[in-house]
This record gives sequence, C-alpha cells and structure tokens, in this order.
Amino acid sequence: MQLGAGKPPVGIVYDSDFGNRIDDALALAVLYGLDGKNECRVVSVTVSKPNLRAAAATEVIGRFYAGAVSGNFGATGRNLPVGLATEGPAAEDTPILRGILDSKKYEHGVHDLNDTAEPHAVIRNAFTAQFDQNCVVVLAGPATNLVRAMNLPGTKDWIAKKVRYLVMSDFEMNSKIDPAAARQLFAEWPTAVFVSGSELGLAMPFPGASLDKEFAWSQAHPVVDAYRAAKQMPYDAGTWDVTAVLQAVRPGEKYFKLSEPGSAKVSDDGRAEFVYSSVGKHRQFTVDPEQKDRAMQAMVELASVKPVVRAPRRPRNAVATDPAKPPAEKKQP
Amino acid sequence: MMTRTALPRRTFLRGLGAAVALPWLESMTSAAVPKPPVRMGFVYVPNGMDVRNWNLDYEGKLGQLSRIMKPLEPLRDEVTVLSNLTHNNGRALLDGAGDHGRCCGSYLTGIQPKKSATDIHVGISCDQIVANAIGNQTRFPSLELGMEDSRQAGDCDSGYSCAYTNNLAWRGETQPLPPVLDPRAMFERLFGVDAGLSSEDRARRNRFRKSILDFVSDDTRKLQQDLGPTDRRKLDEYLSSIREIERQLERAEKDNAQINPGMSQPYGVPADFAEHFKLMTDMLTVALQSDMSRVFTFLVTREGTSRSYREIGIADGHHPLTHHRNDPALMEKVSQINTYHVQQFAGWVEKLKSIKEGDGSLLDNCMIVYGAGLNDGNRHNHEDLPTLLVGRGGNAFKPGRRIVSRRETPMSNLFLTMMDRMNVPVENFGDSTGRLSGLNLG
Repeated sequence: MQLGAGKPPVGIVYDSDFGNRIDDALALAVLYGLDGKNECRVVSVTVSKPNLRAAAATEVIGRFYAGAVSGNFGATGRNLPVGLATEGPAAEDTPILRGILDSKKYEHGVHDLNDTAEPHAVIRNAFTAQFDQNCVVVLAGPATNLVRAMNLPGTKDWIAKKVRYLVMSDFEMNSKIDPAAARQLFAEWPTAVFVSGSELGLAMPFPGASLDKEFAWSQAHPVVDAYRAAKQMPYDAGTWDVTAVLQAVRPGEKYFKLSEPGSAKVSDDGRAEFVYSSVGKHRQFTVDPEQKDRAMQAMVELASVKPVVRAPRRPRNAVATDPAKPPAEKKQP
Repeated sequence: MMTRTALPRRTFLRGLGAAVALPWLESMTSAAVPKPPVRMGFVYVPNGMDVRNWNLDYEGKLGQLSRIMKPLEPLRDEVTVLSNLTHNNGRALLDGAGDHGRCCGSYLTGIQPKKSATDIHVGISCDQIVANAIGNQTRFPSLELGMEDSRQAGDCDSGYSCAYTNNLAWRGETQPLPPVLDPRAMFERLFGVDAGLSSEDRARRNRFRKSILDFVSDDTRKLQQDLGPTDRRKLDEYLSSIREIERQLERAEKDNAQINPGMSQPYGVPADFAEHFKLMTDMLTVALQSDMSRVFTFLVTREGTSRSYREIGIADGHHPLTHHRNDPALMEKVSQINTYHVQQFAGWVEKLKSIKEGDGSLLDNCMIVYGAGLNDGNRHNHEDLPTLLVGRGGNAFKPGRRIVSRRETPMSNLFLTMMDRMNVPVENFGDSTGRLSGLNLG
C-alpha cells in the first residue's frame, strides 16, 4: 500500500536508540526493504544512543540498502546525514555495533562527530521537505530527539502540517529511558499517535533460523552480522521496532489490533500506561492472533529483501541488483 | 593636579561652517565608552564556489590556505574558516527550481522566500534586527552596498522576484533595502551632496528637501483612504522608508557636519571591478572608522549574475560558467573568479587591519562574514556554505582557525552569535537551533 496517492511514497522519519537491541537493525532493514518497494521513503534517520559508532553502524545499513542514509531516491529527496544525540543514557559500545563495524567490511562516512548532525535539526529539516500529510514518524527509542525537534520554534506547526501520525514502539520501556521527554511528547505531539506495549515485540519474535535461509543471497550483510554478534546463536529476537515500522508504513494491511482511543501517560518515575478515553488522540496496537503469521512472514520477507539501486528520479519498476557491487553515485539535480 | 576629561564619542572639529568627524580615539575612553564599538558586516559573493579549490582538508589552526583563499594567507591570523553551515531554507522544500533566488533571499533572513515575482515575502534580516536596536547610536543605522546595477522587479530566477537575488538586507518581510551601487551615490549618502556648497546653501537645500517630504506625506495620506489593506501596507512601508531618509537628513542637519572623507568625490561607476570594489570599501572604511554606522551589507554582485570578468581575461558570464558540467576548463575559470573576489576582499581586510583603533586595529573591532549562499554553483546545494568570518568582534573571537561544525548546523546559529556580540541578543532567528559553538573565546 502506498500512502498519499498523487504524492511520492510517504516519507519516514526514523529515530531509534540504535545498537541496544537487535530489533533496531532489523527495523532499519525492513524500512529500507519497504523503501526499495516504493512503499515509503526514508527521509531522515537519527539516533538517540550517544555513541558515534551507533551513527556509523546506522550509516552502514543505509548505504548497504540504498547507497545513502536518507532521501537519495526521489525528486523531493536529498541526503541528510545521520543525526546523533551527544548525551543521554546507554552510551556504551555494544556487541551489535561491534558486529557491524569491527570487521571493517562495510564502508561508512562517520569518523568524527562533525560527520553527523544535531538530530533535532535533521528531523525538523526532514519535515520541511515533505508534502502535506505525507510523512510518518517512527520512534523506536526514547523521545529525547523528537521532543527536542518539536521544541524548535515553528516545528509543531510543521508536524501538524506534514505528519499523518507517529508510531512509537514499546512505549513502556522507551518512556522509562526519558520520562520527561515522553510526557511532553504524549501531551503535546500534534498528530495521532500509535503506541505498542512491551508484549507485542515478545509475542512476535523474529526467527533467527531465517538468517541462514532468507539472507543466504548475501555473502556479507551488516544486519546478519549484527544479529549473530548480539547474542549466542541460535535465538529469536523481539520485534518491538520492526512491528512499529510495519504499523507505520502498512497500516492498511491491518497486521495488528487497534485499541479504542486513549492517552499514553507517564508518571514521574517513568512508569507508562495507556488510559482509555473517548477524546484521546492515542491508540495502542497489539498482536492480532489471526494476523500474526502474515505479519511475521512480512517481517522476514522485508528484512531480507535485496537492496535496490535507484536512479535519481525513481523509475516505476526499480530493478534488484547485485549488492556486492557498490551502489552508483547519485548526482543532485 | 590635572584631570583629563574624556572626549565625547561624536566629536567634531569645527570651523568656518565645516565640521570634521573624528575616528575613535583613546582619549574618548571613559566609563561610559569603555572601548571602541563593535561593527558587524556581511560581504556576499554569488553563484557558490568552486569548492574543490575552496575547501581545506584540515581543522584547527590555519596554515596553508586553499587556492581561492590564498590572497588571505598573509592575514590568516584574522580569518576564521567556518565549515558545514547550512541554510535549509535555501533548499527547494517542494518549491522546485530557483536556488539562486532562494539562497540570496534566505541568506541573512534564515527564511525561505515566497516563490513569486510580484508578491515578495521573506523575513527581516539579522543586520536589520541589529540596526533597529542600535542604529540610533550612529548616523546611519546600516549601510547597504553593492556593485552591480540590477533591477528590483520582475522574475530573476524560476519565478523568484529579482528582489530576492538583488538584495541582502531586508527591513521587514516585504521590504528589501536595495544596495547603493554607484560610488558617487554612496559618497553623497555618507558625506552629503553638498560638499562644495556653502552652509547657507546646504541649510536651504535641506529645508527644501524636507518640505518635499512633508508634501509627499500629505498627498499619500489622502490617497490612503481609497486603498485596500495590502496597498495601504505597502504605502506605509514606502512612507516609513521616506521617513527614514528624512530622519537621516535631520540628523545630518543637526550635526551640521561635513565629514572629511579624506578622498576626492568620485564620479560614475568605474568599469574596472577592482577599482569599483576599492572605492566602495574605501568609503565603507571611513564610515566604520568614524562610527557613521556599525552595520553593513555588501552584495558584491547580484546572485545569479552573468557578469563577465574581462579584467582577468574571462569573457564568459559567471553564472553560465558555474554550470560547468565538470568541464575542467570552465571550472578553472570559476576558480579564477572566486580567487579574484577574495583578492579584492583581502586588500580591504588588510586596510582595516592597518587602521589603529584602541589597543588594536579597526579590524579587531569588526566581524565580517564573507560568503556565498550556495556551496557549489554547479550542484546548487545549500549545505556547507563557503563562509569566512574576519575580525575579532572586539576581542570576542579567536580567529586563525578553521572551525568545522556538525553537518546541517544552521547558518542562522552564526548570526545569533554575532547578534549577541552586538549586544542585541535574540532568542532565535530563522531556523536557528542555538548559538554556534566553538567561536567565542573562553
């Protein structure tokens, strides 16, 4: 399904604490997979984990799938750098980052903080370049970056104008990391908000066995390397962020159950809960037993899709190419 | 025991109907005027840069400069090279072609110009925010200079008004301040048209001019009754421009001052680019030195210009050359033009440095941005804009370095920092996200 008929595919603003859980990497893979199918455009990627290697690993995945981190694909696209927070929790290096970067198999351009950008500037600038109501925000980490962007002068107006809705994964866990930001986000975010609870990612684990089968086409795959490095194999991984991406880009597929309206609330100590209310702007998406297999199948298929190299002006039928070859350099119009 | 009284800042040497303004003198120092004023200015060059020959490949202390910056090498201790500054609002943002119109219109405003050839709309420029705040301390709140005759109306770039490509300073959202292009006009603005007239003749002329303004105001007020709200607003802005000129005349009359520029009155626009540049900057130097104004903009040539540079053997137009399609011969010519511009600028910077003021030089008390609104004229991109900051802003900045900011850092952050230095703090400006880090001392 393509949102925003008559416009380019919906632009996705993706913010995560990349590097802490493997579903961050899987979610990016699914997102770029959807991008390759022209179902969305990744228009900005930002990271709330204050670790330069998190930005570098994110860029590796962007380059692997699309030749760039964001927006290199359509007439309205451009390359925004990875936005990286410089402070916050969980700054430490992780096996996921080591799995992607230490082998030095993959190229990236993030060697210094100045190779990244302030995340709130990247997010705000991405909004400014989207058609009205043709942008969706995926929050797969604490709300820190998003709230900083929202607090920039005029940005709430941009959000109201450009963004259809926000999807936040595992709102219980991610609210706990930065409760103040989560509270402000839920109170002030101008559009509809969809949140998932912790149980969703656990109920729909990504099958580790698929690595050997579905990803066999690639000799070197950064997401596979990250997966293998994250934990002792074999294991199945929680899909909090992956399910959020699916809900964001393919709401029409109805992979998940949607709750009645309500409001996500966060207490001072970071405990989050969903309070039902007919006037609430928020909804919770939860596992739908009848759709679970279909959703799982979509996750695996999209995560393992081959990269697609696009011309500067996106053709109707993009062609799958050999990922061993470096993506062609794009010229700006 | 003798007690020295501090000279007033605006002291004139008077005699037989003439008055000569003094530059800043140490004897002017008092508790009220502890040090020379800080001046803020912007020198804009069009069509981006040949970035191959502009960029430096190192950070920190400046050593060998790039080919285009080379003329500034003897002055590198006075120069800060700023990298990665971006004008997001110069980008298309779904408005299509017109990067030249957008980049110049947004340069000092930080706002995306409205795409229209007739209904112009952008934002107040940072120089004018400062001029509004401190302009009453000097004879001219700000000075606007240029060097290329250019129209103010019509479509100059893919639907963008010529007002965007041909002006840097914006007094308000719909009101550009066109630069003075003719050295003679600038001379007359600074020093009066009546250099050769008697004081009686000058007073008579000023009285006559004032009566004309009053007459125009009366007449236009009558017209206002028949106008719609948009036209009334335009008329109000027009009147306010006239009133500003009137205020300047009144101030000049009150001072009864004829500034001695130390140079003869120029006639006409010199055909030679370097001569024209020198003439304009010579007058600007006198204006800064004698504290006629603390704020200026200098649009060297208009954005998107197709001016040729026969002075250095380049007959092709500047703008067509920048669309070089990576042809080495064309790129070489772009580099030569870029270098030629920096060469003129370096000559002026050297002059500012040579003028003593307080414990240092006039340059020490300036902060002058030299830059372009596009990075690469061939690519039309709006990130990593070629930017130099010259001077120390009154010992606030430590030049002689290259400061690389994070990517996407708004250019507006630099302007916020500069406005702070002018004691005109503003919470936010354009698309700013904060102050520019790494620039201030301490």
